[in-house]
Amino acid sequence: MLVEDDRALRQTLGDALRVEGFEVHTAASLAEAQALAHHRQPEIVLLDLGLPDGDGASLLASLRAPRAGHASPPVLVISAREADAAKIALLDAGADDYLVKPFSIGELLARMRVALRHRGTRLAPAVTRYTQGDLVVDLAAHQVLRAGAPVHLTPTEFKLLARLVRSAGQVVTHRALLADVWGAEHTEQTHYLRLYMGQLRAKLEADPAEPQRLLTEPGVGYRLIDADLQA
Amino acid sequence: MSTPPLSAPITAPTTATNAAPAEPALRLASPTRPAAQALATRAALTNTPPAAWMLGAVAWGLGWGVLLLADTRLALANQALLLVLAGALAALWLPAPAALVAALLAVAAFNWTCVPPRGTFAVDSPQNALLLAAMAGVLAVLVAVVARLRAQARAAQQHQQQAEQLRQLGDVLRQAGDPLTHAGSVQQALATLMGSPATLLLRRDGQGLPTPDATLLLGEANADELAGLWHALRQCQAMGPGCGHHTELPCWYLPLRGGGAASPGVALLRLPLAGRDNPPLRDHAQALCDQLGQALQRQFSALAEAQAQAQAHTQAVRNALLAAISHDYRTPLATILGAASSLADQAERLDPAQRRRLADSIVQEVTQLSRMTDNTLQLARLDAPGVVLRLDWESAEEIIGTVLHRARRRAPERKLRARLEPGLPLLRCDALLLNQLLDNLVDNALKHTADDVPVELLVRREGQQLVLAVRDRGPGVPAAWRERIFDAFQRGDAPPDAPLRPGSGVGLAVCRAIARAHGGELRLRPRSHGGSSFECSLPLADTAPPPAAPEAQA
Repeated sequence: MLVEDDRALRQTLGDALRVEGFEVHTAASLAEAQALAHHRQPEIVLLDLGLPDGDGASLLASLRAPRAGHASPPVLVISAREADAAKIALLDAGADDYLVKPFSIGELLARMRVALRHRGTRLAPAVTRYTQGDLVVDLAAHQVLRAGAPVHLTPTEFKLLARLVRSAGQVVTHRALLADVWGAEHTEQTHYLRLYMGQLRAKLEADPAEPQRLLTEPGVGYRLIDADLQA
Repeated sequence: MSTPPLSAPITAPTTATNAAPAEPALRLASPTRPAAQALATRAALTNTPPAAWMLGAVAWGLGWGVLLLADTRLALANQALLLVLAGALAALWLPAPAALVAALLAVAAFNWTCVPPRGTFAVDSPQNALLLAAMAGVLAVLVAVVARLRAQARAAQQHQQQAEQLRQLGDVLRQAGDPLTHAGSVQQALATLMGSPATLLLRRDGQGLPTPDATLLLGEANADELAGLWHALRQCQAMGPGCGHHTELPCWYLPLRGGGAASPGVALLRLPLAGRDNPPLRDHAQALCDQLGQALQRQFSALAEAQAQAQAHTQAVRNALLAAISHDYRTPLATILGAASSLADQAERLDPAQRRRLADSIVQEVTQLSRMTDNTLQLARLDAPGVVLRLDWESAEEIIGTVLHRARRRAPERKLRARLEPGLPLLRCDALLLNQLLDNLVDNALKHTADDVPVELLVRREGQQLVLAVRDRGPGVPAAWRERIFDAFQRGDAPPDAPLRPGSGVGLAVCRAIARAHGGELRLRPRSHGGSSFECSLPLADTAPPPAAPEAQA
């Protein structure tokens, strides 16, 4: 389901997604989107912020409301501004990822693939193993291997990495990381993250100054790049 | 600035000595006139200090003493002369009415004591009668002449004091940043001059018609007086006795004249003798008012000039912005329109490689447009007053990492190197803005460097500052342009046919605006072997660094 109030963009995105084999339903307003979500049970929702008739958060809430027999679909937020408080609020409220306008179709498809796969794995047994290049993270065995050699991580470093592995390919907001690793009362202490991300990069990246795995999303959070497909 | 004391209080010129000879017909009907004269006489008597009374009495006493001691040895005419001398001396100190009364009493007493037959007011010979009459006449003339001389001397002294007061007031007001802060002193001076409270209605600005919001009322005024003040302010005219308008009013409404078309304020002065004009007093009051009026008008003019300049500057910036947008935006738009319309109209006749090229050029130009839009918006945001930065503790390493990541995505074939000093402290900044700054600098450097020459990013600590540098080996920037390239939409004095550097209109201006918003600075240093180094120095927060992150509870 595509929720976007601009007609030209709605049509372009719709066409591009149909070419990729998606069945696309479009909505131009929140009210339309609510109705559509109820009748069609979308597999993924692309939600534009700044709709004419209200706040995207209310749609997210109704999508996340438990309904018998239906899995809650992943939600990708599309925002016009990089520093958009509403976007971060939605991510914290459970949206899966975000894109800043303007974006390319390639980027959009990549994010959609990650979101759909995660939705699948969330229902299946939780992910326990992450492989990307020469890095292997085994969550069950509490083990991290880089080029075959074990890497020693402190408990906090491991907890932080594990949180990112569970959302590999997706952005995780500062707030979510701080709450899950240090606890809900530390959600403002972003400097903890700077420090521990630095340490993790020093241990896991070939060149910590130019990270290839643990990416920064400025002003929003962090993203661990998606695992290799064959993993 | 402290107010130097204005000169000593100046009392009202006494009406008894300064009485205007001919009153205009307008004021003949004034019912208060006889009463006013009596009041003035009383004022002259009560204003005389005790010492002056004493000296006058001593003069008379000495005259009578000598006369009585040498009674029989002096001729009657000489005795009379002695008294005339005493009367003239007394007139120097006594107020004129008292001196005149004393002189007439003295003539009567002289007749009683010395003129035969003694002990009576009768005069035995015509000679003696003539002597008494001459004596009374000379004394009266003497008293009048001396009183007039004294009045003139007093008036001269008063004029000098008034001139000095005006000069001091003028100096104070000229030096004052805001004349309104000294309006109180002027009010005080006017009150002292008039002997009753003065009220001032002053405008705060010189624009348009006066409104209650844009005026300041100093002192008390009842409803009638307020209406009078507003009328005088709007009409910019003096009202009250002797002013030519509304002469029936009991007080003066004097406009503060500053030389402008409208008056910057008006003063309400309550006359010591209600409804009675006093031209010298009015002239001085008006002069005091005008001093303040001129100061206010000067300030209004300065403000208006500053506003006009700011407006002209805004207009110039807006024109430059429009000119730049029309160029910087139209060029990529033309490419996009060309490519897109070609794809739309000729798609089936183009081979796949051509279609691909057209689509690629659209993507490339849109990316450029998007970057330009970001920069223009950011510049507008940072230029606006009251910008709020989203400050957080950020690591320079992380910011550089993001910048490199993005630059490599945009230009995968180019060489980029980053060098960071180990152990850099966290930086208190807005990460998005700093990313934008470095993105722009890196883009700029790549644009001006040959494809196979690397661009370097350096981060080091210099005392209490963190320096982020982007260095290239491009052609460098001519000395004359090293500051100007940071101005928005400046392309310097390039000859009109010189190729414009794409996108140079706003990128560096927004970089400098970002650096300054963080309390830092962005500078350009030429490198010794060619190329430029753009160095952004940011202050390291003087607040205590955040406590080390604890290990999370397992």
